Amino acid sequence: MPFTHLESILTNVRAEYADLRYETKKEVQIVFSGPELTQISSSTTDGYVMRVLKNGGFSTVVFTEEKDGPAALARAEENAELISRFIIKPVRLAKTEVVRDTFSPNLDEDPRSVDMEEKLQLTRSYNQRPLQQAKIVTTQIQYLELVREKWFINTEGTRIREDLITTRLGGTITSQEGGLTQTVRVGRGGSSGFALLRNQEALFEAKTALALDLLKAKPVKGGTYSVILNPNLAGVFTHEAFGHFSEADLIEDSPSMLEKLQLGTAIGHPNLTIIDDPTRPGQLGFYKYDDEGVTARPVPLITRGVLAGRLHSRRTAARFGEPPTGHAIAEDYRYGPIIRMGTIFIQPGQTPFDTLMSELNDGLYLIGTLGGQTSGENFTFGAEYGYEIKNGRQGDMIRDINISGNLYHTLQHIEGIGDDLELSQLGGCGKGQTNIRSCHGGPHILVRDVVIGGR
Amino acid sequence: MEALLERALQSVPQVEIYEQKLQSDQIQFENGRLKEIETKMQSGLSLRIIKDGCLGFAYTRNLVNPDVLVREALDSLQGGVEAPFDFPADPPPPTKALRTHDPHFMEWSNTALVEEGRRICDTLSGSLQAQVNVSIHRQDQEIRLLNSRGFDQSIRSTFYFLNASLLFPGSQAGLERHLASQGFERFPEEQLAFLQELFKQSTKEVRPLPGKMKVLFFPETLYALIWRIQAAANGKNIYEKTSPLLNKLETALFDSKLSLYDDPLNDAQPFARSFDDEGIPCRRLSIIEGGVLKNFYYDLFYGAKLKKPPGGQGFKSGLWGGETVALKPKPTLEYLYLLPGEKSLEALVRSMDRGLLAAGILGAHSGNILNGDFSIGLAPAIYVENGEIIGRVKDAMAAGNIYESLKNVVALEDRGHSTYGGTFPSLLLDQVNVAW
Repeated sequence: MPFTHLESILTNVRAEYADLRYETKKEVQIVFSGPELTQISSSTTDGYVMRVLKNGGFSTVVFTEEKDGPAALARAEENAELISRFIIKPVRLAKTEVVRDTFSPNLDEDPRSVDMEEKLQLTRSYNQRPLQQAKIVTTQIQYLELVREKWFINTEGTRIREDLITTRLGGTITSQEGGLTQTVRVGRGGSSGFALLRNQEALFEAKTALALDLLKAKPVKGGTYSVILNPNLAGVFTHEAFGHFSEADLIEDSPSMLEKLQLGTAIGHPNLTIIDDPTRPGQLGFYKYDDEGVTARPVPLITRGVLAGRLHSRRTAARFGEPPTGHAIAEDYRYGPIIRMGTIFIQPGQTPFDTLMSELNDGLYLIGTLGGQTSGENFTFGAEYGYEIKNGRQGDMIRDINISGNLYHTLQHIEGIGDDLELSQLGGCGKGQTNIRSCHGGPHILVRDVVIGGR
Repeated sequence: MEALLERALQSVPQVEIYEQKLQSDQIQFENGRLKEIETKMQSGLSLRIIKDGCLGFAYTRNLVNPDVLVREALDSLQGGVEAPFDFPADPPPPTKALRTHDPHFMEWSNTALVEEGRRICDTLSGSLQAQVNVSIHRQDQEIRLLNSRGFDQSIRSTFYFLNASLLFPGSQAGLERHLASQGFERFPEEQLAFLQELFKQSTKEVRPLPGKMKVLFFPETLYALIWRIQAAANGKNIYEKTSPLLNKLETALFDSKLSLYDDPLNDAQPFARSFDDEGIPCRRLSIIEGGVLKNFYYDLFYGAKLKKPPGGQGFKSGLWGGETVALKPKPTLEYLYLLPGEKSLEALVRSMDRGLLAAGILGAHSGNILNGDFSIGLAPAIYVENGEIIGRVKDAMAAGNIYESLKNVVALEDRGHSTYGGTFPSLLLDQVNVAW
């Protein structure tokens, strides 16, 4: 798709600003449900997303076929004018540099050069490991390869070609005994190529053992605890409880949240520093330019407990009077961009794990994520499993753990920050659109006064 | 479509094409103000083929080159995905023609829909210290399903959805009500009054003692519990023997006041369907009747695996709203109804000695869904004592297992509301464990 093709669609635009993103998406999927292969497919598709800023109204039109370009433009202008009639503050876009670049990520083995048979055999071999155990009743294991080739132009002169290549192999392992069923998540993935999916036999073995052990674990007793979260859970907490409120589009229309989340406010424990950095190479969340053509940059969000920054699109950056950050991301060719985290993590501290355990003394050590959700200051997320800790020593294994809390309260109660750092390989965030490259992580952290749901 | 069918039939004996055309507008008001309008004009195709007992699949949004799509589907045959079924032949015409679209709805201008949104924002804003959000979605969708055994049917559906919500200060937790229909309907004043009144009653933050108490699940939150029944009754989980409901058909599992059924044929609701996404005629299917488990549900694949006749519950449905043409059909309950009870919502609240109104929930997807376990954040959780609303509890969680909790049904509201996951009344449970 040459840029001139896209330029011709925008030729007749009558507006302050317009941009057009064309994408192709190639999706390879191999899915096993238990021992059975239920899907193997490779599909190619494409589409356009157009945005128009006219008279201070900003609107988006998504369309499939090139022939609909003129109709899409007319509709985008009409919608923008309609918005402008009712808007109190006209939309402005923060200034950014004009970019002309073509960028392909460095890959350790391009998945497109690995043949389907080899992908199938690798997926099958990992899937077979858990199924050898009598008490493993089923698995759901998927190989997913998404290759997005993006062309972006805007009326300011930016022209960007960027490829995003995501591979992952994983899913769930389900064990059963008597009436009890337990499911654990397993997998590897990222943006750095196919090689990271190889040699993962030990991971699948370990997760199989965990699924079996969970059958003997006891349900956690509900109540308020001090807890240590492992890096994965610390990452989910960072993403769910805090990260979403550094997304400017989520708070811009909430006067009360804006008041609480003013930059410079002491919001967390003085130990706590949180950063979002999409530019970390090789990570799941890596990209160079966002879907508005803005160069991504690392953003300190909390620095030593003090609110230090926010994630922006060009629109919100102008509205807040803060610099753009390059965080406007679309799931694919079906969506206009919204503000998303790239790679969000708690900066590691100096406390070794053993010291965290003795500082915890009595409480819970929680490991692995079962997803989470937030609603303003409240958040909820599930832990895959954990252990009771008594006198700093690991006790019985526990399951059925859901954590709930209040953002402001919890940020003040992160008392211990470990000296390790692990970033997630399997992301996923469902803020209206799915972002499979949403990456999070952190060190082990010690949190006081956490509510755990239980029967 | 016919040409694509012919092209594919040159290589394989059985072909199915699913075509979707869609136009939609999404209008978003935040904090009482018009913020965004997004329009979609999309189309797409998925192709399934069967050869030598194997299934091939490919999809595209934009059919530039039919040969590429056919080749991708042929390539996917190589993996050997089993097809234990044939595509169905054209069924006899349905006994009742469904009314699924309002022919004039798409002629409405976005301006008219914006005016409706403004009216609701203005009414709700009033004197309340609330953030008012309104989202309006309208859609015109046409689906055509065509296969090589002569099945060729289309269905066009128009859809209008309005969500009005009042958020409590400092949070994104709030009260919400929906309207879902086939064409424009004015959002009822009584629902606006309901939101305002309930908001006023629950502004005060309270901190009573947690423990076991009554919880009244609003229709907007019931999907969290019903999701667990859907998972357990899904033919896939029956086939894989992971469901706790295996061998439990005709067993009384829940309170006798609970009756849950799926009815794609009810064209009083949007998106009614006479055939599923595989061409099987739809029918009403009872899942729970008077607390007794009546049926599991299947698509073609799992029906064939379990030697059950396909029931018309094979839909291309994604948990997180995936791309329809990219998905393969799977057993899905898209049209659930929970039978209402006899008491008004007000009477249910008045009957509560002590408990919570679950007006919104967090983390329905967390926890062991198949086991029936739930451990969900209630946001907002509205506290009731002696039949009076006292205020709002922050950071509340409710936990339990549906196979215990749904035995303790006190009562159901006397009307259903079209909401996430189906048409549900409010449901009052006793002895739910809540913590904060």
